[in-house]
Amino acid sequence: MTSPTPSPTQLAIPLHVSYIKSLGENKDDLTYHLTAHLRMNAIYWGLTALLIMGHGEALDREETIEFVMSCWDDEAGAFGAHPDHDAHLLSTLSAIQILIMHDALDRMDMPRVVKFILSLHQISGVFAGDAFGEIDTRFLYCAVNALSLLGQLHLLDGEPKERTVNYIIRCRNFDGGFGSVVGAESHAAQVFVCVAALAILDRLDVVDVETLGWWLCERQLPNGGLNGRPEKLEDVCYSFWVLSAMAILDKIPWIDADKLSAFILSAQDLEAGGIADRPGDQPDVFHTNFGVAGLSLLGYPGLVDLDPVYCMPAEMIKARGLRKPWKALERRNA
Amino acid sequence: MPVPSTSTEDTPFYAERPEWSDVTPVAQYEDSNPIAPIFYSQEYKDATDYFRGIVKSGEKSQRVLQLTEDIIRLNPAHYSAWQYRYETLIALNAPLDVELKLMDELAVLYLKTYQVWHHRRLLLMLTRKPAPELKFIAKSLEVDVKNYHTWSYRQWLLAFFNDEELWAGELDFVESMLVQDVRNNSAWHHRFFVVFQSGLREGETDRGRVIRRELTFVKQNISFAANNLSAWNYLRGILDANKILYSRVEDFVSLYAEASIDATRDIVDLENPPPPRGAELPCPAAIEFLADIHEKEGRVLQATELWRSLADEHDTIRKKYWEYRIREGLKSVRQ
Repeated sequence: MTSPTPSPTQLAIPLHVSYIKSLGENKDDLTYHLTAHLRMNAIYWGLTALLIMGHGEALDREETIEFVMSCWDDEAGAFGAHPDHDAHLLSTLSAIQILIMHDALDRMDMPRVVKFILSLHQISGVFAGDAFGEIDTRFLYCAVNALSLLGQLHLLDGEPKERTVNYIIRCRNFDGGFGSVVGAESHAAQVFVCVAALAILDRLDVVDVETLGWWLCERQLPNGGLNGRPEKLEDVCYSFWVLSAMAILDKIPWIDADKLSAFILSAQDLEAGGIADRPGDQPDVFHTNFGVAGLSLLGYPGLVDLDPVYCMPAEMIKARGLRKPWKALERRNA
Repeated sequence: MPVPSTSTEDTPFYAERPEWSDVTPVAQYEDSNPIAPIFYSQEYKDATDYFRGIVKSGEKSQRVLQLTEDIIRLNPAHYSAWQYRYETLIALNAPLDVELKLMDELAVLYLKTYQVWHHRRLLLMLTRKPAPELKFIAKSLEVDVKNYHTWSYRQWLLAFFNDEELWAGELDFVESMLVQDVRNNSAWHHRFFVVFQSGLREGETDRGRVIRRELTFVKQNISFAANNLSAWNYLRGILDANKILYSRVEDFVSLYAEASIDATRDIVDLENPPPPRGAELPCPAAIEFLADIHEKEGRVLQATELWRSLADEHDTIRKKYWEYRIREGLKSVRQ
């Protein structure tokens, strides 16, 4: 018999699992090669979503690990996004996360990777993404996250940690939010990386919790979706950026959870699978991951707990002794 | 979408060009792997094979500039190509104003790609000619008025060169952007950055005058479009940054917290410009502001009434937040 038609008010897990599985198979997709610079990230997003939906086995473990290792940039001592791409912090973090999720961290040359990460630390306290020199608080988060997952965060102790925290302080804007660099506009994704980095560094005292909690809460629009900054459109990915920051600050109760869940579910593609940025648009693995992550934090029944600081399964983070104080909504029964 | 390069349909692949026959192309990692199968258009495969070839040999020549340009047009996020292009420009001591002109074209096409802006930063640090950039940035913003990278680049330019003449036109620039779209949060943020976060410049040292000017500016803009979160946030920002009591603007805020405009008012009060005709009133941001004023002045019960109206009627999506404010407010009364 054919399976029942997926309902728009439920998460169509089997459909999304097969969507993620099929992503590597579509040779005719022209956009596939244009997103080579995101490949490592894409696999991390896909794997995380699968694990949260309880289907981590859907992507072959050995093949995934082989792909990760094929992205090793031996000159830099870290991972690029794709074979033969130069090493970058974004892809290096994703590689570490994938290897941890597959319990294969021992395949990696840890000292060289740590050296690469530390080499990107700037005098100002921020991290560059690569040798090219782009700076952004996103990379600060990637570095701090990666070092902590590798159990090497203590290497920042003392002056380097002070410098790092001070950079985040300088990125704090009048509305309580954070930008990508000093002087830049508050943006939800940048708020997430700064707040999560502060959580890992045990420096949440830097955050004006009431003001920022309110700014985050203000992201919710009447249709239930969240935007990234005032007067902009809602987007499913903010279900993660905003919600995880709120979880860390223990302010998720301020969100209208029912309306946000309904919004995320309405952005599903109930024919091909996957979740889009908003209802009616084309799905992609990025929005699929962050939609599922958001639903997990909102207590959607049947999903696995997600750690909002690391955006990885909560049990894995807890097992590594890295659990920070955060609060998601209670998981509801089906 | 890839941008058509300067080549036509008849442009041969690099593999077919005799002047490239001295380069050994290096194919992509070819092990078949269903997790991430490699698929390229022929054109992209050809160009990147030759790119890997010249990277291997370390060549930094004029034709490398053509090759990296082709790759960037096919895939503007290929950061290795950008990086190698920059190194090649340096090695060749290439004319950077020519490079900037090319970047002008690509920036407009690839606004959301970080590399375009970062490459520009690197060039500016060498040319040290920031003045024409302001015009260029303004032109880019015409296409995408809230582009985060573009605004961030403008802030970088101003702060890095820190030239009085560069800063001088910013207030007018922000005003022109807000005339286009008064709800542009990036423009409001930029104004705050220019006025309150970049030190004291000549002509701005009388802070009292600056504050009055900014208060007038934001109030006028609120009176054009009342339900504009960015403007209300800016108003708060001015007061917070300068440690001014919220009660200073109570008369103004009250006008917007009412359900209707007082039609009998015909005196133009510059301190308190009223909402425009047809505005949706009361304005939730104003109610919230007024509640904060009441709370700060110790009038907690009046604040809770306003929070109640927000929870039940004017901002129901944030009901839980308003009920939190009510609980906290009542707690403080009981103490």
